[in-house]
Amino acid sequence: MLSLLLKSMRSRIIPTSLVTISLMASMVLLLSIERIQQGAEEGFNQSISGVDAIIGPRSSSIELVLYTVFHLGRPTNNITTKTVNDVKLRGDISWLVPIALGDSHKGFRVVATEPNYFEHIKYANGQPLVFSKGVAFAELSEAVLGSDVAEKLSYRVGSKIQITHGSVESVGSKHDDFSFVVTGILNKTGTPIDQAIFLDLKGYELLHLGWKSGKKIFNLDDINLSSLPEDALIPKTVTAAFIGLKSKLTLFNFSKNIREYPKEAISAVIPGIALSELWSIVGLVDKGFQLLSWIIIAISLIAMVTLIIASLDNRKQEMTIYRANGASPKFLAMMVLCESLVIGLTAIVGAIVLVTIVTYFATAQLNLALGISPTFKWISMGEITVFSFILLAGALSSLIPAVMVFRKNLHQTLS
Amino acid sequence: MLEALGLEYRYQHGKKIVFPEIEIKRGQRLLISGFSGCGKTTLLSLIAGALRLQSGYIKFDSANYSSMSSLLLDKHRADHIGYIFQTLNLIPFLSVSENIALGIRFSQSRKSKVADLNQEISRLVCSLGLEKDALNIPVSRLSVGQQQRVAVARALLGKPDLILADEPTSALDSDTTKKFLNEVMETFDSKKQAMIMVSHDASIAPFFDTVIDFNKQHA
Repeated sequence: MLSLLLKSMRSRIIPTSLVTISLMASMVLLLSIERIQQGAEEGFNQSISGVDAIIGPRSSSIELVLYTVFHLGRPTNNITTKTVNDVKLRGDISWLVPIALGDSHKGFRVVATEPNYFEHIKYANGQPLVFSKGVAFAELSEAVLGSDVAEKLSYRVGSKIQITHGSVESVGSKHDDFSFVVTGILNKTGTPIDQAIFLDLKGYELLHLGWKSGKKIFNLDDINLSSLPEDALIPKTVTAAFIGLKSKLTLFNFSKNIREYPKEAISAVIPGIALSELWSIVGLVDKGFQLLSWIIIAISLIAMVTLIIASLDNRKQEMTIYRANGASPKFLAMMVLCESLVIGLTAIVGAIVLVTIVTYFATAQLNLALGISPTFKWISMGEITVFSFILLAGALSSLIPAVMVFRKNLHQTLS
Repeated sequence: MLEALGLEYRYQHGKKIVFPEIEIKRGQRLLISGFSGCGKTTLLSLIAGALRLQSGYIKFDSANYSSMSSLLLDKHRADHIGYIFQTLNLIPFLSVSENIALGIRFSQSRKSKVADLNQEISRLVCSLGLEKDALNIPVSRLSVGQQQRVAVARALLGKPDLILADEPTSALDSDTTKKFLNEVMETFDSKKQAMIMVSHDASIAPFFDTVIDFNKQHA
């Protein structure tokens, strides 16, 4: 029967392959949207780990997460170092890492922080940051690069970089009087860390010594570094601080206390909660896409049924001859079912291969836009459900010609 | 072997045909002649069980058509009847031998009568005047006359008890017709088989032992 089936399909190669291709195309669309969505959500939630709270100026928690974790947007306000030090003295805190944002280098954001950043900040499910080359900065003139920065700009340990004031390059805003030496390059994490440049807070403060309100007032060359008082390089303000608590049980109490801090308007954000809030906004777009791809599946199923019915006359003649020679209804049903299985499975295998390629490129795009890399998957339960649904619908619609052959009088079609 | 009594058939458009009584024994060759549209094909379809009986009675050995479902009739036809259709009903994408083999594909009892399928097919093809080389080419490349022989070979394969032939010579000229009928009759086994052929061509009557003229019956 199989050889008969293959010969029969070969004789109708154009309509058959059209059905297969249209079915495959719609599955590719559905699957890639589903996979990108899953990967994005996963990458999103894995972009920071090991941090119990982020404190920053009082604003929406989404905003705070956007610029501290994703390095997107601009911090609207800073918090004073004095406040940070007050918080640091609390008994329930295990560690605190301050960060200052605002500068960039060739489009990559600069994160000014303390060397303990690399010890405390984790990603994915608690994975520590690892240096692929070199070590963390120790001097104020040293810098650490995320893996994408090093790769895209072909920097190595020992390379010298200059920082631009603000996030866009423009003439006259360069801190061109001071260079940083790269001491270390981080391993790829698949998070926004890959696209960041890390400096010592003191070095960052030094850069801004001669600046007021975003304008350069005097040049660093005119200053003798050793003549500066000890505390001149301790920043007055930072953008935010990552915090680890001794016990997670005190988290809500901690965030309540922070909100009630009397001397400055600050707030504490719990990353997990803020991330899922953020995702619920991004997810809306994604729901729209999903609806769209179901519509496409529906349309291509209709197209498949239409094509099958359109090729019915050919098919009916063939089946009537089988029947005239004594083929049982079971045989005819098997013929059409096997055919729809062959079409369906070809489309599915093709779709998986194509989607794998599509996801590969989409991953690179996502990585550029958000700094997150979804993990790669072959097939999920949800996809198996979609596939079985499509196979079933295809099989049912393919039974139409077989049923018609048996309902029609053999005599009318044969003579 | 076969008895058909009191057959009547009313078409959807209202025309009604009353068929003559038919009785045929093994070894018998019956020609039903008559002009086109007089219901010859309908009669064959009834005998083949491809068309449900409306009134009357057909008995084929021990099988009574009135009490059989269309599934049973399909099986009965596959086992016992070789049908040569007026429209040849060959499958274009199959080769000559694959088309011929379709004749016994769905019948265990006819399969069991063929010891060596390839040998039997080449024997039939040769005796019907087809080249042996033609076996593996697609039927769509054959001429109408050659396709006619393929359809006959398919109907004859596995020695069915009854051969029904619907205008098998309509596409052939008179010389070829004679040659073709000679060949068909050579493969006919007069001990086990019977044949009913319908044709509007009365000139082929000498090949048959019984002739029923539809036109005269109606007149």
